[in-house]
Amino acid sequence: MARNKFDVDEELIESFNASQMKRLARYCLPHKRKLLIVMLLMLVSSVLAMLPPYFIRDVIDKYVPDRDYVMLVIAALTLVAAQVVITYITKYKAKSVNKIGQDIIHDLRLDLFSHLQKLPFTYFDSRPHGKILVRVVNYINSLANLLSNGIVDIVTNVLSIGVILVFMFALDVQFTVICLIGMPVFAVTIFILKKYHRRAWQRQSSKQSNLNAYIQESIQGIRVTQSFARENENFKTFEELCEDNKSSWKKAQYISLCIPNFVQIISAVTLAAIYLSGVDRISEGVLKVGVLIAFTGYIGRFWNPIIALSNYYNELVTASAYVERVFEMMDEPLVVEDLPDAETLPQIKGRVEFKNVTFAYEEGDRNILENVSFDVSPGQSIALVGPTGAGKSTVINLLARFYDIQGGKILIDGHDIKHVTLSSLRSQMGIMLQDSFLFSGTVADNIRYGKLDATDEEVVAAAKTVCAHEFIEMFPDGYNTYVNEMGTAMSAGQRQLISFARALLADPAILILDEATSSIDTETEKALQKGLEKLLEGRTSFVIAHRLSTIKNSSKIMYISDGGIQESGTHDELMQKKGKYYELNMAQFKYLNV
Amino acid sequence: MEALRWLGGYIKKYTFIIILAAVLTLIHVTVIFISPYMSGFIVDDVIVNGKYALLGKYLTILLASVAVKEITWYIRQNLMEHVSQSVIKNLRCDLYEKLQRLDFKFFVETRTGDLMSRMTGDMDAVRLVMASTMANLFQMICLGAIGLATMFLASPILGLSLLAIVPFIGVFAFKYSRVSKPQFLKVREVLSRLNSVVQENISGNRAVKAFSREQFEIDKFEKVNNEYRTEQLENVAIWNKYVPLIDFAAAMTNVIFIFVGGALAIAGKISIGQFTMMNGILWCIVSPMQMIGGFANQIQQFVASSVKMRTLLDTEPAIKNEKVTVDHVKLKGKVTFKNVIFSYDDERVLKYVNFVANPGDTIGIIGPTGSGKSSLVNLISRFYDPDNGAVYIDDINVKNIDVTTIRQNVSMAMQDIFLFSDTIEANIAYGVPDATHEDVVRVAKAADAHEFIIKMPEGYDTIVGERGVGLSGGQKQRIALARALLKDPAILILDDTTSAVDMETEYSIQETLKKSYSNKTTFIIAHRISSVKNADLILVLSKGRVIEWGTHDVLLSKKGYYYEVYENQFGDFNNAPDFEIDNYYEDEQFLERQVYRNGKK
Repeated sequence: MARNKFDVDEELIESFNASQMKRLARYCLPHKRKLLIVMLLMLVSSVLAMLPPYFIRDVIDKYVPDRDYVMLVIAALTLVAAQVVITYITKYKAKSVNKIGQDIIHDLRLDLFSHLQKLPFTYFDSRPHGKILVRVVNYINSLANLLSNGIVDIVTNVLSIGVILVFMFALDVQFTVICLIGMPVFAVTIFILKKYHRRAWQRQSSKQSNLNAYIQESIQGIRVTQSFARENENFKTFEELCEDNKSSWKKAQYISLCIPNFVQIISAVTLAAIYLSGVDRISEGVLKVGVLIAFTGYIGRFWNPIIALSNYYNELVTASAYVERVFEMMDEPLVVEDLPDAETLPQIKGRVEFKNVTFAYEEGDRNILENVSFDVSPGQSIALVGPTGAGKSTVINLLARFYDIQGGKILIDGHDIKHVTLSSLRSQMGIMLQDSFLFSGTVADNIRYGKLDATDEEVVAAAKTVCAHEFIEMFPDGYNTYVNEMGTAMSAGQRQLISFARALLADPAILILDEATSSIDTETEKALQKGLEKLLEGRTSFVIAHRLSTIKNSSKIMYISDGGIQESGTHDELMQKKGKYYELNMAQFKYLNV
Repeated sequence: MEALRWLGGYIKKYTFIIILAAVLTLIHVTVIFISPYMSGFIVDDVIVNGKYALLGKYLTILLASVAVKEITWYIRQNLMEHVSQSVIKNLRCDLYEKLQRLDFKFFVETRTGDLMSRMTGDMDAVRLVMASTMANLFQMICLGAIGLATMFLASPILGLSLLAIVPFIGVFAFKYSRVSKPQFLKVREVLSRLNSVVQENISGNRAVKAFSREQFEIDKFEKVNNEYRTEQLENVAIWNKYVPLIDFAAAMTNVIFIFVGGALAIAGKISIGQFTMMNGILWCIVSPMQMIGGFANQIQQFVASSVKMRTLLDTEPAIKNEKVTVDHVKLKGKVTFKNVIFSYDDERVLKYVNFVANPGDTIGIIGPTGSGKSSLVNLISRFYDPDNGAVYIDDINVKNIDVTTIRQNVSMAMQDIFLFSDTIEANIAYGVPDATHEDVVRVAKAADAHEFIIKMPEGYDTIVGERGVGLSGGQKQRIALARALLKDPAILILDDTTSAVDMETEYSIQETLKKSYSNKTTFIIAHRISSVKNADLILVLSKGRVIEWGTHDVLLSKKGYYYEVYENQFGDFNNAPDFEIDNYYEDEQFLERQVYRNGKK
């Protein structure tokens, strides 16, 4: 797995293309009726906006020479009325278009987030979390304007170019042709610039993402940074990342800012060309002066929408660098997902079978487990022991189907876990992972995460079972004490107990404890085990621990190393066998007495 | 206003560039008027009067003026981009530096997502104001001034009647600013929360999957996602209430112009030519008015963003250098606690802790979960200050030692291991960035990590995930240990560093520590007796108090808490005597009187 870190730009698998455009359009499609209405209204409003020049012409040509005050007042009142209509249209547009825009980014973000929930651990493990965060929040926000006002304005601008072109052709074909010669020049320029332009914004989004990743890690790793007094070193790195971000932004802007400039210059050149040819034709007597003057008036109206479009083009290029990343994440394959014919796993009784299971974290890596088979009867407590990194956690990860195996089968009550839905499988398991993660919220919220509709009594009962009640009560706010992922006044052991309570509250048919008590003192652990004993009656449990006192009373102890189960049996059986487990057990006395 | 003054501090450095940009803007604005003039000349002189020879000259001037107009704009825009990017870079750096100096407590109380918002979304508002709002505002003011001045010169009455619109626009713009400000704050606040929800979901992805809580997370997210939409639309509603009024008022200039200008023309106060000319300039007055709503919007967004940034910048770290008498020294490693009392919020975590650790001593700390073990060692590195009593290193109160100096001399492997998403080598060398590969390998060997590292696909160059996900608990602990060892500190603190390591490995690590690191004062927090057994002094902590102290043998003979733990771990698990900690040494006076001497044999 190619892992990414903060100072490495991410590779782009698929760059912005027509199919992504189509996908984006799909988000706009539900709003097409509203969009159409707005566009029509915008046309009305732009026609009304043409009124002032019209009246001014009349003022100059008619009302002033005729000294017609009445018409002057009528003209002024008509303009006021027109402006009232325009104002209402503007209000309507702002309201509905922004609603559409917010709806689209809302939907897009929801889809992205929902997909994120299905992505495997490996996705999260292989890149800085800050890089995921910016996609869901910042990148999508950046699309809001383009997907709302952008669409409407692009369409209305294109329409108005069309309308003006009709007028221009009607007025004078030759001039119109001269005017249009500017277009291919502009198109070619854009085409040449496009590659650099796109690449510049892609680079910028990568740099932005690197910077964000570094910020996030710096915040989360602040304890380590401070305890190693590495602030200055970090600051240097941060400054470099900021500098990269700054210079990539400026470079991208060099190109972006050119584009409206080009349009203006091309428009000025065509204007000059029209004067040249116009004066020529007038001197030849084939053109009337009025036509030339009227035509130059239209040139401005022709180029204005093009300038507006070129600004949207810039926005589109910037946005496409974000759209690429967003869709890339949406296309991220799900390593583990429900099969189409997945069934709901019925209430688990607790029989677990591994049949010739072979597994490697990545294709081509060494197999962590090779041909592993074992059988657990309902209600048994299984302890997994062995050297670190031997595959104890892997067994547990496979049982909860966090990964799919490459060979063999895993059965629960005879159901192949590959053929049941993930939620029916995992919701019946209580898994306490090595890292006890607390969400920001109260202690009670965190325990309740195991069973969302648990009553306060149930929460307290779970806390009592794991011996957490006493210390929770001692916090100033008790169960309402605010905690977050950075920890609190709570020690690692206390946090483990809270996540333990959470796992218990889930009332799992299978309980999995992965180093669940490593930071808990043996006294507490002893009390905890007593509480657990009753609770675990009839449930299958898997326990990984290094402390032998934790696992001594298990119904079966499995010693895992070198890709397989080397020994299995009860404590007494294994002690008699005088194998690896025996050695492990004796070690603690040996080390104690040296 | 306060926000702008604050921003002023950041801009000051770029005064010259900004003046340059302002000059360019002035040129730009002036040149804008040339091409309509030229068009006028072409029509009047060339076409109507037939002076064809002048056409070339006029067209050259026209094209040149457009070129100047575009070039000045392009340069100005890039200059302002430079200023804005530099300002946000400096601002980011200041915020970052602040974050680096803030104390643990701050981070415990602040969500990562909120801080991320400060550094990302909020920055964008600053960028926009700097790069576009400021320059455009200036340009529009210039345009408006030129436009109004021209009008006044031609006809004071017309000028005045056009000016009558300005107060209306001013009032609407002011109202809009005032009403929109709290709403922008609300939007920023929801955005912060959105960041937090997503950020936590990503960090906690394992917990989410383990509990199959995907739908719950989606619901939680959807709530904030919806709220964000609602607040944004509320924002639009406020916009809609005022800004179309501004636009309407701006458009009324057209009406006033036609009505008043037309009447003046009819009355013969102005000529048709003047009327036409003024019509050509009218847009100079209209467009600044039309843009005021947008400016107000951008400025208010910036103000809302700056509020929280400024709060963050003004946050004072609880731990800072005050009366520093000792700086840049190599500490020897004597650690003394005298009557240390420490509370976390209202909860008393340490009570009357006294002990002395001489340089080179190993201190074992053992005790129930939450008894204050980690808090005790956190005081040594001065991550917190005690409420009462004092911590001394080499007989100097830690408050009088430069914080960086302390932390350079104290190395800590924390219970809660955080690894950075970087190579294993970079993670180990975190404390000593210029360490050689040999150094890294040496400490990795000492931490018994070398072997599993070289077995990884890319060895020391393997990139580990954030927080070291993907590594087993034991592997993470050993990397953290190696990281702590590399710093070659005077004081080494191992906070539950070997709990996830099997005993054999732990033993070999301890042997290495004894051999190669015996000159360091070492604090070992552990739950396993085997981890602390050989310590020169073992402190048994319970509910923040040292209830027993001494060497392993002394403590065993006391038959107290320590003895019971020992029996639990090595004796028959079920027959250990029940021992009530609660009734043990309730007498605080007793504890206070004691200054525990090092219990060396």
